Amino acid sequence: MTPALHLKNLYKRFGATQALDGVSLRVEYGTVHGLVGENGAGKSTLIKVLAGIYRADAGSLSIDGHRLQAPTPRQVEARGVHFIHQERLLPASFSVGEALFFGHEIRRGPFVDRRAQEREAARLLRDYFDLQFPAGALVRDLDSAQRQVLQITRALLAKPKILVFDEPSVSLVKREVDQLLGIIRRLRSQGLSIVYISHYLQEIEALCDQVTVLRNGRDVAVVDPASTSTAQIARLMVNRDVGDMYPRTRAVPGEPVLQLNQLGAGHAYDGIDLRVHRGEVLGLTGLVGSGAKELLKSLFGLNVPERGEMHLHGQPLRLKSPADAVRHGIALVPEERRSHAVAPLLSVLENITLASLGSFSRWGLLDRGAQARESRRLIDELAIKTTGPDAPVQELSGGNQQKVALAKWLSRHSSLYLLDEPSVGIDIGAKVEIYRLIARLAESGAAVLVLSSDLPELIGISHRILVMHRGRIAGEFDARSTNSEQLLGCATGSGERPSGATAHLPITQKETADVQS
Amino acid sequence: MSSLETLARPATEPANNLLPRLAQRGSLLVFGLILLVFAMTAPNFLSAGNIANVFAQSAILGILAFGLTCVVIGGGNHVVSGGLDLSLAANLGLCAAVYSSLNNQGCEAWQALSLTLACGVLVGAFNGLAVLLLGLPPLLATLASMNLVAGLELVLTQNSVLPTESALLASLAFGYWLGVPALAWVLLAVAALLTLLIQHSAFGLRLYAVGEYPEAARAAGLGLRRYVFSSYLIAGACAAVAALCSAAFFSGSTTGSGEMLLSVVAITFLGVVFSRRLTANIPGTLLATLLLGFLINGFQLLNISSFWVNGVQGVLILLVVAFSAAVAKQEGHA
Repeated sequence: MTPALHLKNLYKRFGATQALDGVSLRVEYGTVHGLVGENGAGKSTLIKVLAGIYRADAGSLSIDGHRLQAPTPRQVEARGVHFIHQERLLPASFSVGEALFFGHEIRRGPFVDRRAQEREAARLLRDYFDLQFPAGALVRDLDSAQRQVLQITRALLAKPKILVFDEPSVSLVKREVDQLLGIIRRLRSQGLSIVYISHYLQEIEALCDQVTVLRNGRDVAVVDPASTSTAQIARLMVNRDVGDMYPRTRAVPGEPVLQLNQLGAGHAYDGIDLRVHRGEVLGLTGLVGSGAKELLKSLFGLNVPERGEMHLHGQPLRLKSPADAVRHGIALVPEERRSHAVAPLLSVLENITLASLGSFSRWGLLDRGAQARESRRLIDELAIKTTGPDAPVQELSGGNQQKVALAKWLSRHSSLYLLDEPSVGIDIGAKVEIYRLIARLAESGAAVLVLSSDLPELIGISHRILVMHRGRIAGEFDARSTNSEQLLGCATGSGERPSGATAHLPITQKETADVQS
Repeated sequence: MSSLETLARPATEPANNLLPRLAQRGSLLVFGLILLVFAMTAPNFLSAGNIANVFAQSAILGILAFGLTCVVIGGGNHVVSGGLDLSLAANLGLCAAVYSSLNNQGCEAWQALSLTLACGVLVGAFNGLAVLLLGLPPLLATLASMNLVAGLELVLTQNSVLPTESALLASLAFGYWLGVPALAWVLLAVAALLTLLIQHSAFGLRLYAVGEYPEAARAAGLGLRRYVFSSYLIAGACAAVAALCSAAFFSGSTTGSGEMLLSVVAITFLGVVFSRRLTANIPGTLLATLLLGFLINGFQLLNISSFWVNGVQGVLILLVVAFSAAVAKQEGHA
C-alpha cells in the first residue's frame, strides 16, 4: 500500500553541516506518526523540506502517491499537506470568524459577510470538535488551547489530507495538552494522517501509532511506542544510556545558606518554612497556582513578601528588588529564556559577562581581554556550542542559550542559584548537560533551588523535594526514596491523582507572546 | 467527548478586559460630558447650524486622519514602530498649492482636479516605496518625505498664500444640501466610502491582519507589500481630497499646513479607544474628529483662547499613547 507521505533518502547540506544525511520518513494513511530527535538532529530541516521551504540536495518526496520534484510551498499545500506551528498565527483583535476565514473570507457581494462567517465558524467548531466558544469572543479573549483549536480548524478548512504538528504543546498546560491529544485522535479517526513533532516523549507515547527517531540527520529507528518505552526512545535519540540522564550531585549539604520562616505574600503563599544548604540541590514543585512560582520570584526580589522573614548565611535578608538579590549573591535563571534570561542580539561574550561587568572593568573601561578569557573559559567548561564568543546568542540552540544564561551567573560566583524550569524546551542531550552543570554548582559549594514541573527530573537531580499545594508546603520528600506518583499525589492534594495525570505537572501558565519581530 | 467541553468555558478573566472596557466607556462618557457642558454653557452650541458648522470645519482634519488610520491599520498600531504617515499634513499643503497654481494658470477643472489627486497619490506611493523597498521604519521614512514635500511646496509657492477661486471650491465652501454644508457631506462621504472599504471588505480585513500580525498574514498566503503599499496610496488620496476642502475653506493654498499634523495623529490614536477591539478604525476616527471639532467649537463659543486647544490635544495624545502602551503590555503578559 502506498503511504500518505513518503520522504526517501533526503540529503541536505548547509555549508559544512550535513543537516540531512539520507533520512527517510514514511507515514501511513490514518495514523499519527511521531517525529522525535534532539535539537540539531534534523527535524526542522526535514519539515522545511517537506513544506517546500528548503530544497533537498538529493532524495524524493511523495505525497499521496504523487512524486513531487522540488515543490514550492503552494504545491505542497495543493497536495493537502498543512502545518500547525508552535505559534498561534491569529491576530489578537480578530473575532473567531475573522481569524478563521481571513484570506478566504465568506463574502456577500463585495463585502465580508461577518454573520455568515461567525455562524460557519461556530458550526465548524461544533462539527469537528463539539466545541462552542463564547459568543462575540475575540482571539485575545481565548486561551492558548482555544487558539490552537482555532488554528487547527483554519488548517482543516483547506481539507487537508496530512496535518503536521510542529511542537504544538510547548506553551500549553497539562490539561490543555490532554485536550489537544484528544482532538488529534479525533482527527485521526476522521481519516487524516498526522505527523506529530514533540520534545515530550510522554505525549508521543500516548498519541502516536509509530515513531521515527532522528539522530544526526538520519532516521535511526522506526518504533511502535506501544511496545517501546520512552526510556528506550530517549536512548535511541541520544545514543547513550539515559540511565545517567540525571547525574545526581555527589555534594554533601553543609550549613544553611537560605532560611525562610513563616514567609507569606498575599494570597499567593503563606507559612513557608524552608531551608537550603551549601552544596544542596533542593527541588520545588507544585501545580499552577500553588504559589511555587511566586515564592521563587520573592527570593529574587521580584515581589516582596509581607509576612515572615528570610535569612541568608544567618543574616536577616530583605529583598526590595532584583538588584538587592544580585548584590547578595543570588542568581535567577528565569523560565522565559528569550525575554528574560539572555539578550538574543548580544554576543555570547557580552551575555556571559553582562551580570559581572564590574569585575571586568579597569578605570571604568571594559577589559576586553579579561572578558574574552572568562567567556572562553566558560564556553569550554559548559561545552557551549557556538562559533565563537562573538556569535549572537540568538543563533544558538535553546539548550545552548540556557547554558549561556547559566554562565552569566557562574562568572559572578553566586552563592544561591534559583533555576526556574531549567530544562523546558531543550533537547535531551542539552538537558543532561544542564543537569551536570547543576550538580557541579552544588559541588562547588553553592545552594541550588530548582523549580520544575518535570518530576522525574526533580527526583533525578535533587537531594530533597518540596511540594507546594495551595500556597503551603504540602510535603517534603527525600529524592532517593520518593517517586513521581507520590509527588503528584501531594501536589494535587489529598493524595488522589486525577485519572490520566502523568508525571508532568502544569506548573506554569504561559502563553506564547505574539511573535512580531 | 465531554473532556473537550471544558475548553468551551469563557476564558476571559474579568481583570483582563477591564482596561479596554473602561477606556471605551470612559472615552464615550467624556465625549458625552463635553457635549453636555458646552450645551449648557455655550450659546447656540446645539443649534443645527452650529453642529453642521462643526462637521464642515472638521472635514479637513477628519479626512487626513482617515488616511492616517488606513496606514496605521496596515502597519500595525504600535506607536513607534508601527504604521505612520507624518507627511500627510505637508502633502495636503503641496496638493493645495498644486491645485491653486494649476487653477490660476487656467487649467480645465478636471485637469486641475485629477493632477491634484495624482500629486497626493504620488506622495503616498513615494512613502510606500520608502517603507517597503528601503525597509525604513514608517516614522523615519515619512518624516523624511514630510520635509521633502514641504520643501516642494515652498518652491512652488515661494512661501506665500496662493489665492484662487473656482466653481468647485465655491460649491464646496458655500454649497448646502438638505441644510447641511457641502464640506460636511464630503467628510461623511469619505467616511462612508472608507468604512465600507476598510471595515467591510475583504481588503480591509486583510489589511488588519497584515498590520497586526504580519507572520499570520504571510502564513495565510497574503502578499504583505501590496496591502501596505495600498494603505499609503489611500493616505495620499485622502491628503489630496483634504487639500481641496482646505483650498475651499481658505479660498486658496495656505502656508503652515504642517501644523495640523499633531491633531491628525491625536485624532487617529484617539479613535482607537472608541473601538471594542482597540484597533484604529474609520468610525472611531470620525468620532474622534468630531470630539475635537466640538471641543474647538465650544472653546470658540465660550471665547476661550484657542491656544488651550493645543494643550488639550497634547494631554489627549499622552493619555491615548500611555493607554495603548498599557494594553500592549497587558497583551504581552496575558
